[in-house]
Amino acid sequence: MKTADNSYEKAGGKISRREFLGTTAVAGAGLLLGGCSAESQKTEVAPPKFSGKKLNVALFGCGAQGQVLLESLTVIESIQLVAIVDIWDYNRKMIVRRLKSIDQPVKDYPDQEELLANEKNLDAVIVATPDFWHAPITNACLKAGLHVYCEKMMSNTIEGARSMVKTMQETGKLLQIGHQRRSNPRYIFALNKLIHDAQICGKLTSAQAEWNRPVTADMGFPKHSEMSSETLAKYGYKDMHQFRNWRWFKALGGSPLADLGAHQIDIFNWFLGGLPSSVVASGGVDYYKNHEWFDNAMVIYEYPRADGSTLRAFYQVQTTSSSDDGYFEKFKGDEGSVKMSENPSFCALKQEDRSIKDWDELAAKNYIRRVDVPPPSEDEKIDPREEIPMFKYSIPVQFAKKMHQPHLENFFDAIRGTAKLNCPGDVAFASEYVIHKAVEAVETGKRIVITKEETEA
Amino acid sequence: MTAMSDPGIHIFNHSAMATQFQVRIAGEEKTYAAQVAQTAFALIDNLESKLSRFQENSEISHIATLAVGEQLRLTEPVFACLNTAQKMEAATGGAFSITAAALKKQSEQPLWALLPAEFSIRCERGQLEFDLGAIGKGFALDRVAQLMEEWSCPAYLLVAGGSSILAGEPPPGKTGWNCGLGTGEKEKRYLLKNESMSSSGIAAQGRHILDPRNGQPATTRDNTWAMTDSATESDALSTAAMVLSEAEIAGVVARNPAWLVFLRGEKDEKNWRQLGQRPMPPVA
Repeated sequence: MKTADNSYEKAGGKISRREFLGTTAVAGAGLLLGGCSAESQKTEVAPPKFSGKKLNVALFGCGAQGQVLLESLTVIESIQLVAIVDIWDYNRKMIVRRLKSIDQPVKDYPDQEELLANEKNLDAVIVATPDFWHAPITNACLKAGLHVYCEKMMSNTIEGARSMVKTMQETGKLLQIGHQRRSNPRYIFALNKLIHDAQICGKLTSAQAEWNRPVTADMGFPKHSEMSSETLAKYGYKDMHQFRNWRWFKALGGSPLADLGAHQIDIFNWFLGGLPSSVVASGGVDYYKNHEWFDNAMVIYEYPRADGSTLRAFYQVQTTSSSDDGYFEKFKGDEGSVKMSENPSFCALKQEDRSIKDWDELAAKNYIRRVDVPPPSEDEKIDPREEIPMFKYSIPVQFAKKMHQPHLENFFDAIRGTAKLNCPGDVAFASEYVIHKAVEAVETGKRIVITKEETEA
Repeated sequence: MTAMSDPGIHIFNHSAMATQFQVRIAGEEKTYAAQVAQTAFALIDNLESKLSRFQENSEISHIATLAVGEQLRLTEPVFACLNTAQKMEAATGGAFSITAAALKKQSEQPLWALLPAEFSIRCERGQLEFDLGAIGKGFALDRVAQLMEEWSCPAYLLVAGGSSILAGEPPPGKTGWNCGLGTGEKEKRYLLKNESMSSSGIAAQGRHILDPRNGQPATTRDNTWAMTDSATESDALSTAAMVLSEAEIAGVVARNPAWLVFLRGEKDEKNWRQLGQRPMPPVA
C-alpha cells in the first residue's frame, strides 16, 4: 500500500465538512464548525449513539501513554476493548480493576504472544509500549491480520520503522501512527483555512516550536511491585529503574527529540507540506546525572520552498525548565503568524503591520474570532484619553474531546472504510526520518543533508 | 515541587486546579517519597484535565455541550465525582450543588441523570454547566490517598489550597497531624488521623459562594469548617454549610453521623459550635 507522491500533503491536511463535524463538538454558542459559511453558527451536538458492530480492540502497553489512550478507548462507543497486555503485574491489575469498575471487563495478559495466540476475534490493536518494542509488536500484529495504531515514535531506530512500513505494505493492513495532532480539528482548521485559504501568514518565512518541561524525579514504583530479574531480562530491561525510566536509555528510547519533539517536528513537516533538506543541532546531558540521552537540544531545519527560497525552522526541547510557554508550534510569515498548541490557551494569531488583509472581514466569515480584551484598570492608565477598545483574534475552533480521541476515531473510521488515515505508516516514516536525523546531528555535531529518496521507506 | 529539609517529613508542592497542592510524607526515604509525590501530582493533573470547566477538552466541558436528551459516556473518575456530587446535593437538601451558578443564566436549575449501567450522564433539562470548584479538589485528595495506599505509604498529609486537608496515618511517634481551624490566636488545633477537614469562607474570594436554592451569594456566615472521613465530602459539606442555617446544618449532620461541622460566632469569635455526632479528634 504505497502512498502516492502527493499523499504526504494530503494526509491529514484535507478534511471534508462532514469529517470535520464528525470530529468536533461545540462548547457554547457562536463557535465555528465547518467554518466560513453562514451555517457555521449552528451548534453541533454529540454524535448519535453507535449502533453498528463494534470493533474488537486490544491494548498493548498499560504505562503512562497506554493509560492516556485507554481513557479515550473507554468512551468511544464504536469499539470494544477486549484485552490488554503488560509485562508489569502492577500496571495490569490496576487497569483491570479500573475497567471492571466501569463495567468494561477485559482479559489481561503478561505477554504479547500469549494475547495473540488466544484472542482470535480481534480487529485492531493499539500499541503503547516503550519505543523499542513498537516494531516487533506492530509487525507481529500486522502479520496476524490486525490493523495497528502505534504510538510515535514508530521505533527507536530507522530500520525498525522501515520494517513496519514494509509489513504494512505486504499485509495490506492499516497502520496509523500516533501523531494525534494530525486529527486535531483546531490544527486541521488552522492549516486548511487560516494558512492555505485565508493566507493570513502571507509568505511563510520561518517556523519555531518548543517543548519546555520541568525537571522531574526518576519514575519510581510501589514497594513490593518489582518484577523478577528474569522477567525484566526477558523483555530487554536491566532492572526496574530502567524499565520505569526507559526513555533515558539509548537502546530503549529515542531521546527527548523523539519523546516530545516528534509531535512538533511532525507539525513542521505537515504544515509546511514537505520535508527539510538539512539539519544542524546542538544538545547534551546538561542537567541529569543518569540519562544516556541528552536532556536539552536545539535544532535548525532548512525547508526548501516552491519559490526557490529556504524556510528555517527552529526547534527546542528542554527537560530542565518549564519556562517559555510550555509547548507550541509557530508559523511566521511576512503578513502574520499562527501559534498552535494542543493547549488552546497557548494558541495565538498575530497580524503584521504591513498586512492589508481585513481581519474583521475574516472574522465575519468565521475564519477567525475577534475577542474583546478588558480595558486596563484605572491604575494602569498612563495618560487620559479616549480609550480605543482593545481586542485580539483567536482560532474559532473548539473540540470537547480527549486529545487523542479524534486520532483514534480516525483509525477506527478508516478500518470501517469511512475515512482515510490521517497519519499512515509511510507518511509517519518520512516525517520521523528527519527526527532521527536531528538526533544524529546532536550526537555528531555535524550538518546533515537529507534527500527526498532516503525519507521513503 | 520542593522538598523540605526536615528529615522526618518530606514536603512537596504543586500548582493545579488554580491552587497549590501539598503532599507531606512521613516515615519514608526521601527519594521514594519524591517519586510518590511526583506520581500523585501527575494524578492530580490528570484529574484536572477531566474535571476542569476551563479546559475545553475536559469531560466537564464536553458535558456542557449536551443537548436535552443526549448522553455521554464518562471515564470512571468523572462518573465517581459526579456521583458523589449528586449524593452531597441530596444529603444537604440542595445546599450544595455543582450547578449553583446556573440560576444566573438559566431560569431554572438544569437537571441531569447518571446512568450507572452505561457509565454515562444524560442531560434532562437546561445546559449542564458544572462547576466542581467546591468538590473537585477534595475528590483529588481522596484519589491521591488511594495512590498512597497502593504505594504502601501510610503516613501522609494532603493539602489542597489550604482549604481541604486529608490526613492519613500520623508521622511515626505522633498522635496525629497538627491542623487548625482559623488562623492566629483564634485557631483551634487538632491532631488529625485518617480523616479530612475542609473550610469555606469569604476571606480569599469574597462572597463567591452561591446558594443553589436561589442563586444568591451566601450571606449566612463568614466561615465554616467540616470534618468527615473523605475529602470529597468535607469539601462539599463546608461549602453547603455556608448557605445552610444552623438548624438545617444540625439536621444534615444528624442524618450523617460521620460528619462534623464547626461554626464560629460572627460577632463573638470565641463562640465556637460543633454540630454533629462524629467524635472530636484529640486537641493538639
